[in-house]
Amino acid sequence: MKLKEYEAKEILSNAGIRIPRGIHVKKGNEFVVAPDIKKAVVKAQVEVAGRGKAGGILMADNSQVQETAEKLFQASIKGVFVEEILIEEQLDIQHEYYLSITIDRSKKAPVILFTSEGGVDIEEVAQKNPDAIRKATVYPLLTKVPGYTIRYLLNGAPKEIGPVIQKLYSVFMNRDALLAEINPLVMTPDGLYAADAKLILDDNALARLGISENRDLSERERQADAYGFSFVELSGNIGVIGNGAGLTMATVDLINNMGGKPANFLDVGGGADRVRVAHAVRLLGSMPDVSVIIVNLLGGITRCDEVASGIIEAGVSQKIIVRLAGTNEKEGKAILLSKGYLMLETMEEAVKAAVEAAS
Amino acid sequence: MIYADKNTGVIVCGATGNQGSFHIDRMNQYAQSIGGRGVVAGVTPGKGGQEVHGVPVYNSIQEAADARDASAAVLFVPGSAAGDSIMEAADAGLDLVVTITEHIPVHDVMNAVTYANIRGCRVIGPNCPGLFSPGEISMGIMPAHLASRGPVGVISRSGTLTYEVVHELTRAGIGQSTIIGIGGDPIIGQTFADALDLFADDPKTRAVVILGELGGNLEEEGARAAQIPVVAFIAGTTAPAEKRMGHAGAIVTGGEGDANAKISRLKNIGVPVADRLSQIPSLISEVL
Repeated sequence: MKLKEYEAKEILSNAGIRIPRGIHVKKGNEFVVAPDIKKAVVKAQVEVAGRGKAGGILMADNSQVQETAEKLFQASIKGVFVEEILIEEQLDIQHEYYLSITIDRSKKAPVILFTSEGGVDIEEVAQKNPDAIRKATVYPLLTKVPGYTIRYLLNGAPKEIGPVIQKLYSVFMNRDALLAEINPLVMTPDGLYAADAKLILDDNALARLGISENRDLSERERQADAYGFSFVELSGNIGVIGNGAGLTMATVDLINNMGGKPANFLDVGGGADRVRVAHAVRLLGSMPDVSVIIVNLLGGITRCDEVASGIIEAGVSQKIIVRLAGTNEKEGKAILLSKGYLMLETMEEAVKAAVEAAS
Repeated sequence: MIYADKNTGVIVCGATGNQGSFHIDRMNQYAQSIGGRGVVAGVTPGKGGQEVHGVPVYNSIQEAADARDASAAVLFVPGSAAGDSIMEAADAGLDLVVTITEHIPVHDVMNAVTYANIRGCRVIGPNCPGLFSPGEISMGIMPAHLASRGPVGVISRSGTLTYEVVHELTRAGIGQSTIIGIGGDPIIGQTFADALDLFADDPKTRAVVILGELGGNLEEEGARAAQIPVVAFIAGTTAPAEKRMGHAGAIVTGGEGDANAKISRLKNIGVPVADRLSQIPSLISEVL
């Protein structure tokens, strides 16, 4: 789950990383900016890449802050409405650095990235001048970043950055983060500040972090999550139900390759019973654009007779095309055939029929 | 076959739960049908002394391993406890831990896999269907009836996709030596490269199917170094761009992970890639 900038900054601040003075304001709430903040930066708290360029970050003198905030609350940044803003004191920037920690899948370890060329589009730096970015993995069971690793990362940059790396690493570890990023990390006459921050938490660790609800999910995705489905909305008209991410993804691919348009990706998970299958079919049945539903299930522990009963119980109006293989396959097929459902032997036949029915 | 055989004594952790108990029964039905040792002990803390389908249950992996001469474990424990169980298995001196459990926090996996590696214990998974060697052993949840014995190894990041391909191979008269699900999580224990190394040294395996999906670069990494013929299929070629983890993710992987880019890289290193699952048997026949 992605945290908003002000939430991420609060966590960094609690870990001892300095953040600019400021306040977080929700739409409709009154606020007062400290009189000694002469120049402020007003930042929309939206999940939009390139927020600054899209007009989500505005500069204002103290006297103009109210007006600027109001302007931002009326705006939409790349289609996202602004519900919260962060008003901070402008920093006296001497230099900007980039610092982040994420997970390196192939090394199976946290990896720290640092460059003295911060503040700009970091992916551009990565392409044009990859040597400017230093990368170092940290052995997973270590509780601190070793000194030699920090020296390697800094490559001559000011030593004061070392403790910031150490503190960001502790946030990364203690908060089950998948990404902890400070961009830019700003050097001022008064020392280092995290001018912008990003934290992404592991959805599988939310419970132990004390977070009860994953905000990143859409309403339909939340419903699907409650049933234990893995669900992604796409834009087509063929509803897809499969079991296992790989098989479901391969079904979506095959629909696209055969010229159809999948409406979604829905993995019902292992051992789906009548009730779960009925929920899945109803969920797709409730999507207005779905005209055909393909059910492609291959079960080890999934019982085909349960699946068949679930499909019938759902009672949706759309045409359903079924491919079932696995435990109690015969019983399942008999149930569906008796009700006139279209049953096909292989995945390719079923997808072909669905694409034809939807066009 | 690789990783385990008929003589491997298996411990099931989470033995008294629904999944654990159900699969102890299935694994042992298979072991009986081929004359293997199968599941010799179960573990559930606090339930020591009970039995599940005739298998004695112990309080800890160490007790189970000592009492029943077991060297491998299959985990059906909850996600919040699985990292701990992997380390417990490694500490008890087991060689192999197959982790079926899904939704384990990634930091737990990272620590547990690292720790197991130090202790010389291989981890398969997490979030995987396990290991199946026809005629030798079932360690996990793969349906036995789809498989048949033969010269092809299968390594996969996805469970049901594996069944689909094994089903296709068997129908085409091509048997399998070992089928291994390495799991779909960002961090996994055994990778394509690890399993391919073992397959290359296995006299019973002559070619390997790798079933990958979008994300990461483990497929290419494994195929590049493989000392055995490889055929691949990659799922997710038409999936919407992976929800990206900010800038850092892209920089770390150098933009790798996209399924189509992955397929081009595999083709560039000479690996035949099937556009559809149904093409795999004929591609495999060509390299056998």
